[in-house]
Amino acid sequence: MKKRELTFGEAINEAQIQAMSLDKSVFITGLQPEKTGNVFGTCKNILKKFGKKRIFPSPTSEQGVTALAAGAAINGLRPIIIHERVDFMAYTFDQLANWISLWSFKSAGKSKVPLVIRACIGKNWGQGPQHGKTLHSSFSYLPGIIIAMPSSPSEAKGLLLSSVMSNDPIIFLEYRALYNTKEHVDEKPYFIKLGEPRKRLSGKDITVVAAGASVLTALQGAEQLKEKKVSIDLFDLRTINQIKMDKIFNSIKKTKKVLVLEDGWSKGGYASEVITMITEKGIKLDRKPKRICWPDSHLPMSRPLEADFYFTAKDVYEACLNLLSKK
Amino acid sequence: MTLKEKLKIYYNLLLIRNVEEAIEDRYHPADKMRCPIHMCIGQELIPSVLNLFMKTKDSLWSHHRSHGYYMCKGGSVKEMISEFYGKKTGTNGGLAGSQELSYPKTNFYSGTILCGAFSMAVGDAFSKKYKNQKNVAIAIIGDGGMEEGIVFESLNIASMMKLPIIFICENNLYSVHTNLKERQNSKTIYQKIKSFGIKSSIYKGNDPDRLHDILKKITSDVRENNKPHFLEVSTYRFSGHVGPEGDDQYGYRPKKEIAYWKKRDPLKYYEKKLDKKIKNFHIINKKYKKKINKIINDAFNFAEKSQFPEKDYLKFNYQNTYSKIVKKFYSKNIQLNVSQKDHKPKPY
Ligand SMILES: Cc1ncc(C[n+]2csc(CCOP(=O)(O)OP(=O)(O)O)c2C)c(N)n1
Repeated sequence: MKKRELTFGEAINEAQIQAMSLDKSVFITGLQPEKTGNVFGTCKNILKKFGKKRIFPSPTSEQGVTALAAGAAINGLRPIIIHERVDFMAYTFDQLANWISLWSFKSAGKSKVPLVIRACIGKNWGQGPQHGKTLHSSFSYLPGIIIAMPSSPSEAKGLLLSSVMSNDPIIFLEYRALYNTKEHVDEKPYFIKLGEPRKRLSGKDITVVAAGASVLTALQGAEQLKEKKVSIDLFDLRTINQIKMDKIFNSIKKTKKVLVLEDGWSKGGYASEVITMITEKGIKLDRKPKRICWPDSHLPMSRPLEADFYFTAKDVYEACLNLLSKK
Repeated sequence: MTLKEKLKIYYNLLLIRNVEEAIEDRYHPADKMRCPIHMCIGQELIPSVLNLFMKTKDSLWSHHRSHGYYMCKGGSVKEMISEFYGKKTGTNGGLAGSQELSYPKTNFYSGTILCGAFSMAVGDAFSKKYKNQKNVAIAIIGDGGMEEGIVFESLNIASMMKLPIIFICENNLYSVHTNLKERQNSKTIYQKIKSFGIKSSIYKGNDPDRLHDILKKITSDVRENNKPHFLEVSTYRFSGHVGPEGDDQYGYRPKKEIAYWKKRDPLKYYEKKLDKKIKNFHIINKKYKKKINKIINDAFNFAEKSQFPEKDYLKFNYQNTYSKIVKKFYSKNIQLNVSQKDHKPKPY
């Protein structure tokens, strides 16, 4: 029997429906999640199934809605708020930096804010400098918030279910480039423990670390590398600021080569964090560590420039071969 | 209003005043309370009266000038002073200080970044309605806070969603050292709120009995009708904006104005009023003062004797736990048939 496949968007939809069935304190709001388009299909049928108490449109007030969710979470609900573009979250930096991220800490653990903020990162086509950006590194700098970046449909489902059930605040970032990817997704609810990277491929030559959309690029790169008989250990970080490094360290001890991919600007990103942790650990590499990130520039809309801006499987392929060529 | 209620209000006024003065007195030169503190001397009226209309399950979200509200929401004076000392027995385990006092036990929260607490109170009110709890949220803000954008988002949300919330604005005329006249093109704030479709009113006096009647009406109205209300109250801060030291040497407010308000000191006003009305009030008053004095001394002794927090504070940043539903789920579905060999779900 052919196994059931879901797209990334459908998997998120299923995760939300299952979370809402498991727990009636889960509700969804944001800019018209229940209407036209349903946020890339991720909120399809939820209004029909659960009614307007559980999913409703918010006013166009990102700050107010984030505060609403935080206050509701503190009194025991499990809100999911959705920003169709991560750019809008800039408005909410006060709620994140000054309230939500320090809530558990400042109460000495006595009070918690279990909420999920879903936001979409523009990476696909034509989004230009405004809607193409990602802000994940600006968030991941803060203690007290977990930043999840799912890389595939089955990952998205398990990570989102865990995020909703987590007692910590979670920012859940979805690359638009992933919405149409498809794979088998188990029908029952399941949970992925936050903070544990997943070993996605097992190889012997190079350790590659990625998260979100860059995992897909790495998988494609690994496919091309087969012709050169090169294989990689590929790790999907899943959460970019809560990283258990032991498995990655062990892999690097074996390969002595590391490449980190980050679909975002390099400064202060997880790529620099991962490489720093490897360096601090004192693991001997036989090649300089390498990262591939976005250029230090805003994204040009013009098609050929945009195509040049994002790294591709070919860049991964070449970077890996470079790492393997003589010093 | 019963005699008991009047005495309770008087006691509250006196408690807040005396605790605040004790903090001012003992802050220097001991320097053991190592955090910025916003005193509320002069502004005791609202918390003292509000106290009579709050249930434990109602929540109160305060701005930075929070001590009065904290005490009137059932907060322990011991734990508050301990918090200022940075001790483990403090309200927030000594990690937060005066500016972020919180006391989940009685549903009291506060924070010093203007308006965050105000806007989160709206979410709290939302959750109360969502859960069919018959409780209200109360949000406190200053006239300065009313100039932040998020306030208007939150008022709109509270109005649209018909939430059980009472907004109270303490208009003390100043944001730090800048007068309202230099900041807003209107003398009152409550008028603007009406356009949000929120019932909005003002009280300009210093009489606890009058405020009692007003708050009684508002609280029962909000409880019964699940709709927000906004109340502006004129008041005046006698102490400096921040810290135990006064700040009138900077000349930011006219001497005449200070004198005008000091003549209207709510505590002195009420003391006189009750003295005229109640036989033997001076005996009760003496008893109260003694009782409060003991509370204060006990609190400072408690703080002095308490330990500083351990150094493992890192753990408080994350809860690192999940809803019980996760465990329950796995205990019922042990036979999970997941094919992704790399991420077999496991119970945690
Ligand atoms: C967002 C933000 N901006 C500035 C400040 C600095 N600040 C602290 S208290 C205060 C005055 C606020 O005035 P008001 O709301 O009237 O309260 P009051 O101090 O008079 O009680 C200011 C500007 C702050 N805490 N938060």
